[in-house]
Amino acid sequence: MNARILVVDDDSAIAEMIGIVLRAEGYEPSFAADGAAALASFHATNPDLVLLDLMLPGIDGIEVCAQIRAESGVPIIMLTAKGETTDVVRGLESGADDYVVKPFDPKELVARVRTRLRPTPVSDTDTVAIGDLVIDVAGHEVRRGGARINLTPLEFQLLLALAAKPQQVFTREMLLEQVWGYHYKADTRLVNVHVQRLRAKVEHDPDNPRIVTTVRGVGYRAGAVT
Amino acid sequence: MVLRFDWRGLLDRAIRQWRGSLQLRTVALTLVLSALAVTVVGGYIVTSVQANLFDQNQRQVVAEAGRAAVAAQKVFTTAEESGGTDDLEQVKSDATKAVQNITSTTPLIGILRAPGQTGQAPLIDSVSEGFSPQTMVSSDLRATVDASEQDVASWQSIAIPNDTAVDPGIIVGTLLHLPQGEQYELYIVYNLRPVQDTLDFVQGSLLLAGVALVLLIGAVAYLVVRLVVGPVRVAAEASEKLAAGELESRLPEDGDDELSTLARSFNRMADSLQSQIGQLADLSRVQQRFVSDVSHELRTPLTTIRMAGEMLYDQRKGFPAATARTAELLHTQTQRFESLLADLLEMSRYDAGAVQLELEPTNLVRLAEDAIETVEPLSREKHTEIRLIAPGGYFEADVDARRVRRVLVNLLGNAIDHGDAKPIDVYVDSDEDAVAIAVRDHGIGMVDAEMQHVFDRFWRADPSRQRSTGGTGLGLAISLEDATVHGGALEVWSEPSQGSCFRLTLPRRRGDELTGSPLGLPPEENP
Repeated sequence: MNARILVVDDDSAIAEMIGIVLRAEGYEPSFAADGAAALASFHATNPDLVLLDLMLPGIDGIEVCAQIRAESGVPIIMLTAKGETTDVVRGLESGADDYVVKPFDPKELVARVRTRLRPTPVSDTDTVAIGDLVIDVAGHEVRRGGARINLTPLEFQLLLALAAKPQQVFTREMLLEQVWGYHYKADTRLVNVHVQRLRAKVEHDPDNPRIVTTVRGVGYRAGAVT
Repeated sequence: MVLRFDWRGLLDRAIRQWRGSLQLRTVALTLVLSALAVTVVGGYIVTSVQANLFDQNQRQVVAEAGRAAVAAQKVFTTAEESGGTDDLEQVKSDATKAVQNITSTTPLIGILRAPGQTGQAPLIDSVSEGFSPQTMVSSDLRATVDASEQDVASWQSIAIPNDTAVDPGIIVGTLLHLPQGEQYELYIVYNLRPVQDTLDFVQGSLLLAGVALVLLIGAVAYLVVRLVVGPVRVAAEASEKLAAGELESRLPEDGDDELSTLARSFNRMADSLQSQIGQLADLSRVQQRFVSDVSHELRTPLTTIRMAGEMLYDQRKGFPAATARTAELLHTQTQRFESLLADLLEMSRYDAGAVQLELEPTNLVRLAEDAIETVEPLSREKHTEIRLIAPGGYFEADVDARRVRRVLVNLLGNAIDHGDAKPIDVYVDSDEDAVAIAVRDHGIGMVDAEMQHVFDRFWRADPSRQRSTGGTGLGLAISLEDATVHGGALEVWSEPSQGSCFRLTLPRRRGDELTGSPLGLPPEENP
């Protein structure tokens, strides 16, 4: 079955054009022109990925993003007309996985979509331990003791990437390549914001992280198994 | 270690204080001048009092000594007439008593035989206790006394040593004629200590009064100056604030005096300034807002156009030749339009002052390598070699890597464009406070007139020159803003047919002031 993609943009021309591009790649797009319609459509079609414009009439993109994220880990890619620092960070903080800046190259858009829909790379081990967490690779689950911790697919991939090589320090660029699929210099804020979101879910004390530790001036490293 | 007092520093500070404070100057001048006046007046008073007191005392004691001498002479004369000269010592004692009776105080008395007389002295010299003929009676006085007429007193000021110090005194001498023609000198020494004490007291009082007066005048001057300088200082502070951009700064207006008038005119000036600046700011805000809005609004249709163009471009192989070329043109020009729009938006962000730096410790050599890698396709196409020259050192600095990379890519693009396919050198060097990157090409270069405009918006070196990077004309203007927002500098050197060099210098730490650059402009070339 083809992946379903919900395209949320108030500009019908751009939405239609994105639809054409996505269809050409074999995806199945559906459309919403404002925030309320986006949420309704999200519930109706249960898409595999959401392309979300940040500037929407009514409920704005940030709010839509937060509401979708509250009930689902579905990949969200923001379409932002502004390259403004604060908008991108606010979008990422409200749960978006990635963003593309208008005007974008359709190939770039397709590459972003493809990365987010890509299944987690198969690992040769079934479970990986990190800190006091156990990652069930096949079952896409993270557990602390008996309790299951809810992670989005992106957060899961990020944690798994770090945990798979516990001794290695990952630069932000390495993580951008492994988790986001960027093969060139991209925005390191993607990594920063998502590490923060991940820490908020998995750390006992997010201000004093033990599972995803920062290596100053270099990047991040998985904490020792406890 | 030798501790040396910093005289120069102290002097500099004092001079600064002096030049900087009207209040200090006025009070100091008042103090100095009034002290001078008080000294002159006090000096005059002291001198005249001293002269008067001394004259009076001198006259008094000389007259008294004269009378005493007459009385003593009389004792001797009477003794001679009555033939009682056998016991001359007794007569002398009587004469001394007569002198003591006449003198009011108890002066020192000395009776000395006048020099130059032969034969046995009828009387031995007698002096009262404390009278020292050697020190008190000068030879001048003796000569004068010896030569004087009978009953004529001669006097001289002398110093009378006492236990601790020296008292002022007057010695009065007269010639006594004894029987048998013997001549003796009678000296009476008056101690003027009481007079000196009075004088000292007067002087002390005057000094005290003078100091008090000067201090009083100083205090009055200080108060008066404060009354005037206070408002002036407030006005100066308000102007300073106004100049620093605090347009709400005003002066208190109370009263009708000159200072209040100053305050009122100042406030009127500030009002008018504020409203005019406000208008200008509004205008400029509206304009910036407009540019930013236009750029944003253009982006949405541009995205659609670009996607459509890309799709057509990807399928151009299947189109007839003319349509395929059209798709190509659409593709390239859309890209150009897009970069123009991006630059325009960036520029409007700078104009609006809405730029935030994302600082992180960055290795500038790595950044330079990175930028060289980015322009690699272009340099290969133009057959231009790019050499990185980094003589080692510590190249970390807190910079916004994205912006610095953008500057470098832009400089490299320009260098390749104007470099005549000759090698381009990228220098990276650093010192304690700054890091610098210079991009040096050996191409056509620029004349001075051109060089002055390189950072202007939409300025092109030579309209007829062929361009390959399709620059927007905003590249260097944005690079300059990128450098400035870091607190750094972007400078240019160029010589026609020698090539050009752009040097970016950035402070190592945010907020540091640049004092120089680790690299020359252009950097020295090693053979």
